[in-house]
Amino acid sequence: MISANQLTKKFVTKERSSAFTLRGKTREIIAVDRVSFEAEDGKITGLLGPNGAGKTTTLRMLSTLLTPDSGKAIIDGADLATQKVAIRQKLGVLGDAKGIYWRLSPRENLLYFAKLQGMNRADAERRATQLIDELGLGALADRPTQGFSQGERMKVAIARALIHDPQTVLLDEPTNGLDIMSTRSMRELIRGLRAQGKCVLFSSHIMQEVSALCDRVVIIAKGRVVFDGTPPEVLSQSGASTLEDGFVRLIGSDEGLFA
Amino acid sequence: MSAFSLSRASVVARKEWVDLLRDRKSIFWALFAVAISGPLVLCILYFVAKSVSERIDKTTAAIVNVAFAPDLVRHLERRGIKIDPDPADYRDRVKRGELDAVIVIEPDFQQAMAEGRPAKITLVTESSRDRSAPIAAKLSREIERYAARIGSERLMLRGVSPVVASPVRVEELDLSSAEQRGARLLQVMSFYALFAGLMGAIAAALDVTAGERERQTLEPLLTTPVTAMELAFGKWLAVSAVNLLAVTISLTGFLVALQFVPLAKLGIPFSFGVREFAGFMAVLVPFAFMVPAVLLAIGAAGKTAKEAQSSLSIGASMVGLLPMISFLRQSQPPWWDALVPVNGQYATLSKVLRSETIPTLDWAAMWVIPAGIIVIALFGFARTLANEKLLAGR
Ligand SMILES: Nc1ncnc2c1ncn2[C@@H]1O[C@H](COP(=O)(O)OP(=O)(O)OP(=O)(O)O)[C@@H](O)[C@H]1O
Ligand SMILES: [Mg+2]
Repeated sequence: MISANQLTKKFVTKERSSAFTLRGKTREIIAVDRVSFEAEDGKITGLLGPNGAGKTTTLRMLSTLLTPDSGKAIIDGADLATQKVAIRQKLGVLGDAKGIYWRLSPRENLLYFAKLQGMNRADAERRATQLIDELGLGALADRPTQGFSQGERMKVAIARALIHDPQTVLLDEPTNGLDIMSTRSMRELIRGLRAQGKCVLFSSHIMQEVSALCDRVVIIAKGRVVFDGTPPEVLSQSGASTLEDGFVRLIGSDEGLFA
Repeated sequence: MSAFSLSRASVVARKEWVDLLRDRKSIFWALFAVAISGPLVLCILYFVAKSVSERIDKTTAAIVNVAFAPDLVRHLERRGIKIDPDPADYRDRVKRGELDAVIVIEPDFQQAMAEGRPAKITLVTESSRDRSAPIAAKLSREIERYAARIGSERLMLRGVSPVVASPVRVEELDLSSAEQRGARLLQVMSFYALFAGLMGAIAAALDVTAGERERQTLEPLLTTPVTAMELAFGKWLAVSAVNLLAVTISLTGFLVALQFVPLAKLGIPFSFGVREFAGFMAVLVPFAFMVPAVLLAIGAAGKTAKEAQSSLSIGASMVGLLPMISFLRQSQPPWWDALVPVNGQYATLSKVLRSETIPTLDWAAMWVIPAGIIVIALFGFARTLANEKLLAGR
């Protein structure tokens, strides 16, 4: 269960015309602007938005990587501002950065994170084997991950996020770069998590994907929530005939994804 | 944040250690380079020393107008010096380095001798060339010895004791014992041991800081309960272990090579036994832990691998350049010299080689100062690891 309340994040960037410029121009970007939404247990919530909308920034705040400038969030009863460690134990995060260790095998990658989550050796090994089987990584399990395909790496990264069997799962564009077969199995996996009663929040910029999967859609554009409801409500509220048209109208731009 | 957990830090350390040792391209080759450069340096030193002593043994005196001074020639030959009579173009050849030094006898040498006037001999040398200097010095010494002999013969003919004419007798008492002379030649070794304590850490420090960022694994790591301080501590332990391995390998390589290179035959009674090995380790162990802490703090500040690499190479050349100051300094080092990191280590290692007693204060400095630097650097490292600006701003 996630409840975000008025989360806001600003970035200050310095622009220097050369390495020798002492004082560059500073520019303030409001990446996430008073975003509020709820994601419930046993439901899949989609965070939809065009490039640069603030999806990754929102998920990074929820996963304790960034400190919000203002606003609050409660995850499984733990307060983001004061109970970071508790939140890190409850969350499984597949963030924007999905890197894995090249010189370690998938199993070693998983065991490392399991131990950091405080699991004992036996539990960690049992859970790693279980995830390796579920994701069909069996043949690759003990080979260094260098040279793995993008899909294979993504599988290791998602297994790593789920290693401690977290109640709440944050996924930042989990199907990015996957082929149709892998996308389908990723969707199956996400549905499986819902069936186990987990709270899943995932981000995407593809309306079809969100509608195929989500119980609830939160659309953000330029850092603000512009829609919060079920996929059918996207059509009714925007008055469009297709989901994609509805999405484009809701984010307030005819140029669509390149807004 | 939660309290520091030593077990999580050791999970990090063990993972980094395994990961680093699999890095064949950089870590493996760094260790390899460290292992062979000891024996290599030793062999080079051996051959240099050998050729110098051979050249001095086989000194040839090139003499222009050799016929005018048969007595001097006889003196030189008796002293085991070969004669190269009347070389052509001698000025150019000395300049070019084909001849080390040339003795030129004036045509009226014998007549001046007979009349009791000072007979003139010119020693042509090229003083800017180091390798000719010992030969020129040897010839000059022999000529003076010849002159002194003639002088005392003359005094005796006149019934005066030669002692009267030598109111002052210079005797050289070279305070450097034989060991100390050998140690000076092999002081390069202190340099080289410190170099190993740097080489072993560079690639590893780069891998666990900028490498982690480049592979995009830092962000997932920071979403687990591990704290920045635990990460910093674990990474530091792993890199230090690799560095310690490098130092041990290098010293062992040196020790092994010394068994095969017969330095003693050249009159270099260089000893590097168990005592010296222990002394070196006592200096190098804290050093091997200090260098990684500093490099990690520097390396983590880089947003990209390239940035980290360039700031690391600045840090590394600092370590390399510091001992140059004491190398070049002519005057006595100031008292605080021993406290400057790298410099102090270099000085203490040299003392170990010279078998000098090392004051307790120096030993304390070898341990206390690195410990202080480690604490400061690790806090800095942890701060940069957790810095959200560096995290997201790719
Ligand atoms: N570290 C940072 N420094 C400066 N600006 C940033 C930083 N991180 C994000 N931004 C800016 O904040 C805005 C939101 O970025 P964010 O990465 O959250 O978008 P997104 O919705 O995930 O986009 P995409 O679909 O392209 O991944 C963008 O305009 C981006 O340029
Ligand atoms: Mg994003």
